[in-house]
Amino acid sequence: MNFRKTAAFFVTVITCLFFFGMTGAKAAEPYHLGVALGLTGTGALYSADQVEAIKLAAEEINAKGGFLGRHKIELFIRDTQTKPDVGVREVKDLILRDKIKAVINDYSSAVAMAVKPIAQEYKVLHIAAISNSENITKINPSPYTFQVVPNSYMQAKAAAVATAKMAKLKGWKEYITIASDYEWGRSTQAEAVKILKEMVPNLTLKKEFCPRLGEAQYTSYITGIMALKPDFVYGSLASNDNVAWMEQAKTYGFFDKIAYPGSLISVTELILQAKTLPRNLIALTRAPFFAHLDIPMMADFVKNYRAKYNKFPSDWAVLGYDAVYALKQGVEKAKTIDTEKVKDSMKGLTVNLTRGKLTFRTIDNQLSCSSYVGTITDDPKYPFPIYKDIVEVKGSESERPESEILEARKAAKK
Amino acid sequence: MDITSLFTQFLSGLTYGTILFLVAAGLSLIFGVMNILNFAHAALWLMGAYFSYTFWSWMQGNSFAFWLSIPLAGLAAAAVGWVMEVVLIKRIYKRELYEQLLITYCIALIISDTIKLTWGVTNKLIVRPEMIRKPVFIFGAPLDSYFIFVILAGAAVAIGLWWFLKYTRYGHIVKAAVYSREMVGALGIPIPRIDTWVFTLGIFLAGFAGGIQAPIGSITLGMDTAIIIQAFCVVVIGGFGSLLGTLVGSLIVGEVFSFTILFWPEGAMVLIFVITAAILIVRPWGLFGTPMRT
Repeated sequence: MNFRKTAAFFVTVITCLFFFGMTGAKAAEPYHLGVALGLTGTGALYSADQVEAIKLAAEEINAKGGFLGRHKIELFIRDTQTKPDVGVREVKDLILRDKIKAVINDYSSAVAMAVKPIAQEYKVLHIAAISNSENITKINPSPYTFQVVPNSYMQAKAAAVATAKMAKLKGWKEYITIASDYEWGRSTQAEAVKILKEMVPNLTLKKEFCPRLGEAQYTSYITGIMALKPDFVYGSLASNDNVAWMEQAKTYGFFDKIAYPGSLISVTELILQAKTLPRNLIALTRAPFFAHLDIPMMADFVKNYRAKYNKFPSDWAVLGYDAVYALKQGVEKAKTIDTEKVKDSMKGLTVNLTRGKLTFRTIDNQLSCSSYVGTITDDPKYPFPIYKDIVEVKGSESERPESEILEARKAAKK
Repeated sequence: MDITSLFTQFLSGLTYGTILFLVAAGLSLIFGVMNILNFAHAALWLMGAYFSYTFWSWMQGNSFAFWLSIPLAGLAAAAVGWVMEVVLIKRIYKRELYEQLLITYCIALIISDTIKLTWGVTNKLIVRPEMIRKPVFIFGAPLDSYFIFVILAGAAVAIGLWWFLKYTRYGHIVKAAVYSREMVGALGIPIPRIDTWVFTLGIFLAGFAGGIQAPIGSITLGMDTAIIIQAFCVVVIGGFGSLLGTLVGSLIVGEVFSFTILFWPEGAMVLIFVITAAILIVRPWGLFGTPMRT
C-alpha cells in the first residue's frame, strides 16, 4: 500500500510538474516587436531618440513580466535608411526571419506607405509613430496600420485653429500670408485663410505673398511685410524654404516685431538650436513632454528617460514610447498576443498614454491626439527654450471630417 | 506707407541688386570677351557657396574663419573654372550659340551632381559671428548687418573691375577683345591665354559671390536655378560685356523687385521679365552695351 501511495504521490507530482511546465513554457513565449526606422539618412536624428524610448518602454514592461505579465518583449531593430525600398526589404525580413508580430515604422511617410501593404499582406501590426502623412491612414486603409502621431492634416489645421485662438486672445486685426508658390504651399495657405475667416470673421487678410519654390533671397519680402505692419504672418513654407526664410528674417529682428505662428519646431530643434532659435516665435509641434508633466505617466517617463539617457526626451521619443504602450493596452484588451485579436481590440480603443487618454478613430485607426502651439521662451528649469502659453489643439478639433475621408477613398478607387 | 518703410525697401533692393551684380559681373565679362553664354555660371556660384562652407568648417573655431572662407571660395571656384576652360570651354568657342548653351547647360547639370555627390543633399548652414547676427538701423530703417559687408564687397568688386579695365594693360586688352578679338589677335596678343584668364576671373567672381551668399540663408541644392535667370535678365538689361551696364542692370532688377513686392507682390518677377523683353525688342544690346561688337 505504501508503495502504491508513494507511486501515486510521484505520479501526481510529475503530472503537476508536467502541466506546470506546459504553462511555464507558454508564459515564456516572447513577443517579437520589430522596429524599422531610418537610423541613417535624413531621419537618423529623430529615429535615434525613438529607439531609445522604445527600449525604455520594453524594459519597463518586461520588468513586470512583459505583455499580459508573461510575454516578454524582444526587440528586433533594423535600419530602413529612410528609403522605401530598404524599408520594405527590412520589414519583410523581420516578418519572415524574426517572426515579428508588430512593427513600429518609420520616420519617413514614404517608407511607412511602402511598408503598409506588406504588413497587411503578412498580417502584422504596423504602428506609424513619427511619419505623419495623412494618406497613411486616409487612403487605402489597412486594418493593421495605426498612427499615434497627429497627421499632416491635423497639424495644418491645428496651426490655423491655434492662430485663430491667439488672434482672438491677443486682439489681432490684420495679417499677411507667405506661402511657397506650389500646390502644398498654396493649398495650406487657402485652408488656413478659410479657417481664420470662419473663426475670426473680423480678421483682415492684408496681403498674400507667394515666393517661388526654392527662393534664396527673402530680404525684399521680409522688409515688405515689416513695412505693412501686420499683427501676424501666417507662413506655409516648408523644408529648405522655411530654413532660408527663418534665417534671413531672424537677422532683421522680424520675429521680435511680428508674430509668426505655425512653424514646426520640435523639442529636438529646441535643444539643438537652443542658442540661435529666435525667442518669442510662435511654433507648432507634435508631442512636447513639457505640455503634459501633470500626467503621472509623462512625469515618470521623463524621469526614467533622463536617468537612463541623461537628456530630455524629444517629441519623437514620446511618440515611440506611446506606440509601445498603445500596443500593450491593445494586447491587454484582447487578453492575448494573437495579432488578429489585438488588431480588432485596438480599433476604436481608448488608451492611456503620456499625452493623456486618447482614442483610435474607428474609421482610420488614427489616434485622436493633440497638436501643440506655443511661444518659444527661455525657462530657467531647462537648458533650452520651451513653449510657453501652449495652445493644445485636440484631435477632435483638428481631424478631417469622416465624410471627407470616405469621399477621398471613393475618389481613390476610381 | 511712411518714408522709413520706403527707405527700408530701397535698402533691400540695394542688397538684392548687389548680390545679383556679384553673380552677373562674371557672366557678363565672359560673354563680353569670349562670346560664351555660360549657363553653368550659377552652378559654379553654388559650388562657391559649398566651398565656402567647407573652408569655414575646416577653420571653425578661428575668428577669421568666417571672413576668410569667402575669398577662398572664389579661389577654389576659379581653379575649377580654369580646368573647365582648358578642358571643355576652349573647344566650343567657334560653335553656334545654341550649341554653347546646350553644352554649358550639360556642364551645369554635371556640376550640380558633383555637388550632390561631394556635399550630400542636406542643407549646410554657416553660423555667423555674433557681431553680425542683429540688424543695424540706418535712419530708422532696419538692415541685416551682414548686408553692409555685402554692399561694400559689391562696391569693391565694381571699383576693382573698373580700375582693372581702365588702368591696366590687361584690362585694355580685355576691353579691346570685347570689341574685336580678331584685331587683338592680329596685334600678336595670345587670345587663347586671354580667354583662359578672363574665364577664370569670371568664375572667381561667381565663386566669390557664392561665398557671399552662403551665410545669408542655408546652402541648398537647386539655389542656382533661380538666380541664373535673374542674372541673365541683369546682363540683358545692362548690356553684355558692359561693367557699368551690369551694375545698373542689377540695381534696376533689385529695386524693381523690391518695390513691386511692396505694392504688387504677384507681379514682382513678371515686371522684371517685361522689362527684359522690352529691352531685347527696343535695344537688344542693352542699356550700356554696344551694337558695334564684331
